[in-house]
Amino acid sequence: MLSAIPGPGRLAELYRYRELIYNLVARDLKVRYKNSVVGVFWSLLNPLVMSAIFTFVFTVLMPSGLPHYALFVLIGLLAWNWTVGAVVGGAQSIVAHGHLVKKVYFPVEVLPISTVLSNLVNFLLALIPLFGLMLLSGIVPGPQLVLLPLAVLTQLVFLLGLALALSALNVPFRDTAAVLDVLMLGWFFLTPVFYRVEDLAGGWSRLMYIVNPLASIIANYRVLLYYNSWPDPLFMLRTLTQALVVLAAGYLVFSLLRDRLPEEV
Amino acid sequence: MDAVVCQGVSKRFILRPDRPRSFQELLIGLLHPRRSAPARRLEFWALRDVSFAVPAGTTFGIVGENGSGKSTLLRIIARVLKPTSGHVRVRGRVAALLELGAGFHPELTGRENIYLYGSLLGLGRREINRHLESIVGFAELADFIDTPVKHYSSGMLVRLGFAVAVHLSPDILITDEILAVGDEAFQHKCLEKIYEFARAGGTIILVSHDLNLVRQLCDRALWLDRGRVRALGDPVAVTRAYLDWANEKAFLRSEGSGAARHRRWGSFEVEVTRVELLDGAGNPTWFFATGDPLTIRIHYRAHRRIERPVFGVGLHQGESVHITGPNTKFAGLEIDFVEGEGAVEYRVRELNLTRGVYLVSVAVSDHSLTHLYDYHDRLYRFEVRPRPGREAFGPVYLPAEWRHLNGAAGPTRPRPGYTPAPPPSPGPPPG
Repeated sequence: MLSAIPGPGRLAELYRYRELIYNLVARDLKVRYKNSVVGVFWSLLNPLVMSAIFTFVFTVLMPSGLPHYALFVLIGLLAWNWTVGAVVGGAQSIVAHGHLVKKVYFPVEVLPISTVLSNLVNFLLALIPLFGLMLLSGIVPGPQLVLLPLAVLTQLVFLLGLALALSALNVPFRDTAAVLDVLMLGWFFLTPVFYRVEDLAGGWSRLMYIVNPLASIIANYRVLLYYNSWPDPLFMLRTLTQALVVLAAGYLVFSLLRDRLPEEV
Repeated sequence: MDAVVCQGVSKRFILRPDRPRSFQELLIGLLHPRRSAPARRLEFWALRDVSFAVPAGTTFGIVGENGSGKSTLLRIIARVLKPTSGHVRVRGRVAALLELGAGFHPELTGRENIYLYGSLLGLGRREINRHLESIVGFAELADFIDTPVKHYSSGMLVRLGFAVAVHLSPDILITDEILAVGDEAFQHKCLEKIYEFARAGGTIILVSHDLNLVRQLCDRALWLDRGRVRALGDPVAVTRAYLDWANEKAFLRSEGSGAARHRRWGSFEVEVTRVELLDGAGNPTWFFATGDPLTIRIHYRAHRRIERPVFGVGLHQGESVHITGPNTKFAGLEIDFVEGEGAVEYRVRELNLTRGVYLVSVAVSDHSLTHLYDYHDRLYRFEVRPRPGREAFGPVYLPAEWRHLNGAAGPTRPRPGYTPAPPPSPGPPPG
């Protein structure tokens, strides 16, 4: 059990294979966008259309009373899309590359890691229309924007932990992806994507921040990009700590299963 | 200095057929505990106490049947699998030619795939850049290197895969039947490249069913049988021992009730008890060179007196090509009767076969060739290697000579409409 804990040698090796991570991310993006601007446009269309639908529902059909609702919901949707891509894609990443894992030696971690990173690139690209929408809503980002990288890093850490654990679990338990399909739908409604945590009944808002790190991650984005103000440093730190715990636990699960992966994949 | 050292390497695979394979089964198992028998646990030792060393700069061959543990051993040397017990020490970087082009992505161009493959082997961009030109040149893909590989033919993919793996040269090259792919010309080129790699001081570990290749290329060889070392050392001795054993086993299987029983039939009043292939000096062997003498000696036992039997042999290439089917009757050898034990020999003065593995059938029948006493259908095999500089295309070599009929110099001209005979091509087997 102790030997499963990744030592510095393991991380050094991962660093030696950074070129492979880079190439895998580049491959994912090239395949998705087929080297064209039109491809980028299509991938941005999804969050924008979804945002328009939610805006129609929550400003016309059953008004929520939130100003700039389109901006409000787009922030949640972008964070959510990154999560879905990283979790669902990450879970499949090792099985999808089974032919390589079985035959060639390389640190298998690079597969879930590169999946999370290529989805990060999509997220960053989608920030461009988001900033456009901010300006349209009359919100000019202030100096607190310097904290945005920290908020993104927090989500990255969180998603790496999930993807590492799920990618390895999907090898012995091949229906992980099917189970995830159901869980992701539930998680979407239990995450403040189209509503505010503050509006939840009773003590639910407190519980939400404790059990659902994604709620805190989205709250950080909203403070910076929607409320356009300085976040509570303690809250940000607590969210980052939460994400680091998820990463540590995820890497541990991965490490415990690692030696079995080439045999069972 | 040794590039690879294996000491007492064993590998156990544990199969748990009852282990839940999915969350669904896990859940059902939790809801209905103790309904099934105690979990079964099947052990399978793919390798048992395998020890050998490969000195740096040498070529090492591994032979054995399918399922003998060859691939498991390669995967352990390549660090993909961990041995259950024993130690493996590998000095230098290993590149595996396990499956050419397995890492290629169809949507990416050849060039992009080279970088992806290279980084999979742990190389940096600069190292890959250094070799890019020679890879593209070797693979003969200069015009297509920026085309997505989904448009490549399978031959192009194989060429690219081999070129990448062999040029991003590691210290130790591991190959698993690589030369079974591609056209003959490219196979030749690959072989040249492997020789070059060996000459440059590279260490090669190769698995092959082509025993001639093992003899030609390897300094030492290992024969694995059901995960254990059966022979280790001189490649000629190891491959001979292996082929002896494989032929023996094929014959034994034909006597028992094994899967190969359908390879032998007859009424068995006369039985073929043993078949030997002999070289010019009368020594048993399974290896010949084009032009060598070959003798097939058929030992028989007649359980009662049989009048005028006919002994025959058949030579085949693979399952479908019947090369020749001589017998004593066609040759005018009348055998009045057989009784008890004896032997019949079929002598070929010059074996006019080129490179390849050939299968041998033997038969004893009555004089009308309609009743079979014993028939061994392609139970024996031997290998032929071409003599350097001699014909190497197609299975047979016809004794013939060439002439150049030049208008000025030649006393005769080809008649109008003359077309040269096509190269020998074996027809379909009779019947």
